[in-house]
Amino acid sequence: MMLQDGSTQLLCLTASSGVPLFTRGASKQLPFSVIGSLNGVHMFGGGQRVLLSSCETERGGKVVWRVFQDSVMLIAVNGGHQAGGGGGSSKEEELHLRRLLENVWNCMVLVLGQDELASARNVERLKRDLRSCFGLIDQLLEERQEGIMGNLTHCADCLLPPNPAALQEAVEGFTQAADSEFGCLMVHGRIAAATEKWWRLAPQEVVLLSALMRSLSASGSSSCDYPVFLPQGSPTVAHRLLRFQLLPGADVCVLCGPTPSLRRAESGLVGRFWSPMVETLRGCLAVGERCLPGSVSLRPDVLALLLINRETRRSVSCVRSSTHPQPSDPALPSKTRCWELLKLFYIFSTTRYFSQEETLCVSPEEKPQRGNTEDFALGFSHQPLQCYLVGEECKCFGLQTPQHQLFLLTPLSVPTFALRTVATQTLSAITGNTGF
Amino acid sequence: MASRNGTETAVRRGQTEKGDNSDSDSTSSSYSSSDYSDDLEPEWLDDIQKNGELFYLELSEGEEEAALAQATANQGVSTNHVRFSEKEAEIITEQNKKQRCGSRTKGEPTLKRLARILRRKRRPSQRRGGGKDGGKDSSSLSSPPASILKNQAGQRQGVMVQQQQLKEVCVYLNPKRLGGSSTPLSDRGGLLEALLGVVHRPGWSRGQGDPAAGRREERLTVHGLVPNSPAIKCGQILIGDVLVAVDDVDVTSENIERVLSCIPGPTQVRLTLETVGPVEGVSGGDSPSIHRLKASPPVSQLVRLLWGEDTAELQMSIGHIPHIVMYLSLKLDSASPQEEQEILYQYPVSEASGQLKGVRGIFLTLCDMLENVTGGRIISSSLLLGKHLVHVGYWKESNNLLVIGLPAERVPLLYLQTVVGGVVRTLKVMYGSLDSAFCKADHAPRLDHFFCLFFQQLIQPSRLTDSSSAPPPDISGTLFLDGLPAVRWLTLPPEIKMEVDTVLSDFESSDFGEMSEDFFGLRRLYVTLGSCLFYKSYLIANHLPKEDLLDVCLYCQHYCLLPLASDQRVGQLVIWREVFPQHRAQQRGHSGSSAPGYSQPHGRHFLLIVGLRHFMQCVLLEAGGCASPALGSPGPDCVYVDQVKATLLQLEVLEAGIEERLNAPPAPCLSCADWFLPAATARDRLDSLASSSPVLSKLAGAVKGSSAGSRGRSLFGEKARRSSPQRSLSDSGSEGQADGGSGSGSSMAPGLSPHSTPDSARKLGGRRDSLGSGGSDGSGGSGGLFKIPRMKHPNPFYLGTLKKILTERETEEMYNTMKLTSGAENTLFHYVMMETVQGIFIAPTHREVAQLSGSIHPQLIRNFHHCCLSIRAAFQQSLPPRGRRGADRSQSSRGLGPVKEHGVLFQCKPENWTDQRKPAPTMTYWVIGRMLLEPVPQEFYVCFHDSVAEVPVEMAFRLSFGLAL
Repeated sequence: MMLQDGSTQLLCLTASSGVPLFTRGASKQLPFSVIGSLNGVHMFGGGQRVLLSSCETERGGKVVWRVFQDSVMLIAVNGGHQAGGGGGSSKEEELHLRRLLENVWNCMVLVLGQDELASARNVERLKRDLRSCFGLIDQLLEERQEGIMGNLTHCADCLLPPNPAALQEAVEGFTQAADSEFGCLMVHGRIAAATEKWWRLAPQEVVLLSALMRSLSASGSSSCDYPVFLPQGSPTVAHRLLRFQLLPGADVCVLCGPTPSLRRAESGLVGRFWSPMVETLRGCLAVGERCLPGSVSLRPDVLALLLINRETRRSVSCVRSSTHPQPSDPALPSKTRCWELLKLFYIFSTTRYFSQEETLCVSPEEKPQRGNTEDFALGFSHQPLQCYLVGEECKCFGLQTPQHQLFLLTPLSVPTFALRTVATQTLSAITGNTGF
Repeated sequence: MASRNGTETAVRRGQTEKGDNSDSDSTSSSYSSSDYSDDLEPEWLDDIQKNGELFYLELSEGEEEAALAQATANQGVSTNHVRFSEKEAEIITEQNKKQRCGSRTKGEPTLKRLARILRRKRRPSQRRGGGKDGGKDSSSLSSPPASILKNQAGQRQGVMVQQQQLKEVCVYLNPKRLGGSSTPLSDRGGLLEALLGVVHRPGWSRGQGDPAAGRREERLTVHGLVPNSPAIKCGQILIGDVLVAVDDVDVTSENIERVLSCIPGPTQVRLTLETVGPVEGVSGGDSPSIHRLKASPPVSQLVRLLWGEDTAELQMSIGHIPHIVMYLSLKLDSASPQEEQEILYQYPVSEASGQLKGVRGIFLTLCDMLENVTGGRIISSSLLLGKHLVHVGYWKESNNLLVIGLPAERVPLLYLQTVVGGVVRTLKVMYGSLDSAFCKADHAPRLDHFFCLFFQQLIQPSRLTDSSSAPPPDISGTLFLDGLPAVRWLTLPPEIKMEVDTVLSDFESSDFGEMSEDFFGLRRLYVTLGSCLFYKSYLIANHLPKEDLLDVCLYCQHYCLLPLASDQRVGQLVIWREVFPQHRAQQRGHSGSSAPGYSQPHGRHFLLIVGLRHFMQCVLLEAGGCASPALGSPGPDCVYVDQVKATLLQLEVLEAGIEERLNAPPAPCLSCADWFLPAATARDRLDSLASSSPVLSKLAGAVKGSSAGSRGRSLFGEKARRSSPQRSLSDSGSEGQADGGSGSGSSMAPGLSPHSTPDSARKLGGRRDSLGSGGSDGSGGSGGLFKIPRMKHPNPFYLGTLKKILTERETEEMYNTMKLTSGAENTLFHYVMMETVQGIFIAPTHREVAQLSGSIHPQLIRNFHHCCLSIRAAFQQSLPPRGRRGADRSQSSRGLGPVKEHGVLFQCKPENWTDQRKPAPTMTYWVIGRMLLEPVPQEFYVCFHDSVAEVPVEMAFRLSFGLAL
């Protein structure tokens, strides 16, 4: 057994020659013979017109293959869980790994551009260049920041500020002044406000840019100028991403062309547009991880929730920190565990019952590759609307309306028959209050 | 017949012989040894294979008639039933000419003998698959058959715009009907007109007549058709056609009456007609222009497949769908390299499977490598072949690897492991281990047959059932129900159940005649370990331990014996083979550890299945142990077979009672989904509106409901029930049921009252309990209440308790049925309830489901089953892996963790909603699964309309648990 419990290793090779480009994740790298065989079986199958897409082992171990643009082969290997628990969760693991591969590829395009990856004339140079992606890739692999669901849902994580109108106005003014149409304000790594054009970017790009912003702001610099390719919008022409830190935890960014220079924007524009907004921003930061303004009152029996707007591809999620744990309650799952359960339940429901419509923004050439995970949901003759699970740690409820998907966790003490009302109330409380 | 496979072959014979034998069976229920004279030996004796195995299946007379009638109902579809069955009869005759044919035919009436001769003449051409090369033995009656040759000769000569074509038409004739009719046969038309309905007027057809034929042997041109006759009903015989042959016997005006008079009884005959039709793109003169319509054989494909017929054709029809089974060796033997030596077994050989075979290197490599990388054996992989997604399941045993590839649209990945596990277990039951199954060369044909059945059932189940009557099979339903480690159970009225059990026990005690050891002073041959009894695919009695029952049932499922007994009347079914019951083998593996001083006897086990009409009894016998050890490969012993037959005949008295039970209204009464859908009533419309925007509509009621929840718990039940105005209607319905249950239970028939009172108490207890512990998660408190009644039955394997409780359930259900008539609303659509300890499950019977026919309801049931696949897969997570593979069980907090209950809400709309102004009405319903590990593992799946209030749902769960324990 070469992989640790539950750890994931990512392998990247050139698709044509099988030269390893990099491996990330897992403390111990897999031996080269294994990497070679994993790549070899896929290549051999390709020669026989059989496309190997995934593999599953006992206790949830999983291997997923995917070739991008006929040039780069990405393989994700998950070690499974020695502790047991059956193989049931591997179905969930698969979607997770598939999303990971897509995100990693998009991230490579974002940093290096599609041309360099697709042509790959000089393998050694490519290897060197790819190092600049590692930070971002590691972030995707390790999921350092709790509560970021976008990598999985491909819906941008949002934070609903108390007074959105003022922030929206400031973002739009600032973006316009910077000769751009794409601008965005991020608070706690989530989008608090963005221009209309920003939302028109492909959802995956929005998610990826958010991830990039998070990793840039984690570096601690007050501003930076970073060239990015947009995997869907402009995979071959780079844009500039200008980022400015307004307050610790609050960043603003614009996507722009050659002008303005970082210095001019920083000195001339940031102060002009954002110094009047400092108090508003502080109010925004105070929302914190709850992501919802104080005006939204959640029922006390909601442990965690994830709300997705299916039309705008945005999501809000939060986990209640147990403020005053009652002794009567049997141990509620920890916060970290809640996030994990929320993710697992999202995958569980979407792979089996609810549709994932992000396939809309997939280029036609890649569709067959993505379609190769069999869609269990297609087997239903009637449409699933809601589902719930009663486990040992908590109860989960999911519902889907034409506009929203809501997933929430409640303590076991909530009666099962009340789950539905809890969910509908929560949904209307949020949508009614914020117009999300 | 070259493809007929080695052992698992089955043969039927003509009706006449069968009739004789069943007579003798019924009169002498048990032969004494002196009875074994040649003429009384059982008909299956000749089918016993060299290794002692037997698979003998014969349909009953009634079934054949039904099949024939059905064939005529499907008008004009050419069938080859008669030929087929006669062929079989011939084969038998050939094999046993000396024993049988000579003596038997003597007593037959001349007509029958004539018919027999007719049949025999037909055989050779049939064996060549309809090739008409005239290779027949000379005989008085047979002139050269209606052949293509004749026609081709014509083609070569003539430059014809129109072409003579031969067509074959099958009609069902019943000479017995003639007896009643008053028309004298000596009328001008004779039998041709009276029986067949073809009007032929001699002398009319001068112009068309074959010049070579003389006046006396005039060709039979159809000049008219008699209304309502078989000829006109079939719709294929046209005026102007020429009748050339009847069942391949050439006919003219000279011999037609004689030929027709040879038809002994109701049967299907094949007419060959020469017709004039336009040339259909036939350019070459030598392509035979015979029109053969696609046959839909009246004997279902399943039976033919079981007989070992037709496998090639069926397999061809799914050749384009990639599927494969391979048994690969992981050992390299470089000393004697042969081509493809690592493939120990492979099936089928087709283009698509060839592609999968080509990449076997992938399977071998992955199997070997991934175990090292992830620390667990490989279970499955997914491959994309062109457009087909294929899931491949693996099973590694010692140094060999079983690989099964199945198309994803048939078997979802979620359920692949269950399917593979089922195959492996079945093979182990049949052969002991995978190695012994696959590594013996002479097993290959039998395995081919095995896997042909396996793939046919999964990939094109519709071909196996009778296409006309049965609804399109529900692949998810088959997967789900077959995948359950349980057998479908039918609850019976107590007095019938008791009789059945008594009869079975009598049989099992082996205290009869020469089976008792005193009789000859010898050790008995076999010990009866137990038996189980099926009626029309329902298990009605079981005296086998659960694991043995599952083993037996897996075998029956695999060979489709259960649907066979329910759809078709089995004339006689005798199966005998050595089996290797799995848990006995495992116990032997580590014997002595569990109970010192006792170890499982090292005996050999044999499975005897005997079916008569709708009954089927499976008996597990042990040789060795306290019976005499078995040597070699013994065949079935007549004494045992006859004893089972006698038992079944004895049970036949009860058939009426069982049928009555089957015909009874659905026991927990069911509703049809379609009743809820049409927006005819205001209530429904309201409902559908409400469900279409769940966000807003349910709020009002919800607020109140939840506020009640926070108040005092003792009052909660009342509050919740009264509070929600929206639900009041349906609420009151279900409430009335529950209240009525406790109230009027004692006013029922006096005999029932002892049952009903504890029931009602339990109900109340259940409700209170469920509220106290806050809904479905409560497990602590609920156990206590249910433990008390169970203490009385300490042995869960004792089926007597099951019986008793099922009767309780029965009375309860009777009571429910009465409720329905009083007009309360019932929202239950479907349910499946599995009792893991006894290995049985209960679901509405096929007939109950059929009664609820509607357009939406079958869809709903399909959906229900599909959803159950997912629910059960979620449950499987929380269970420890079934003993076999790496059974380290420790509670992990990874994944979603164990799941107790899982529900999905569905919305359905009527199809083809054309009304533009109004939105289509919708109906929402829940599919909920609930698993209980404590006190005994149970799984429960229900489907009901959304309008039911949730508290009664909880009660429904608890009720059923209380009842079925």
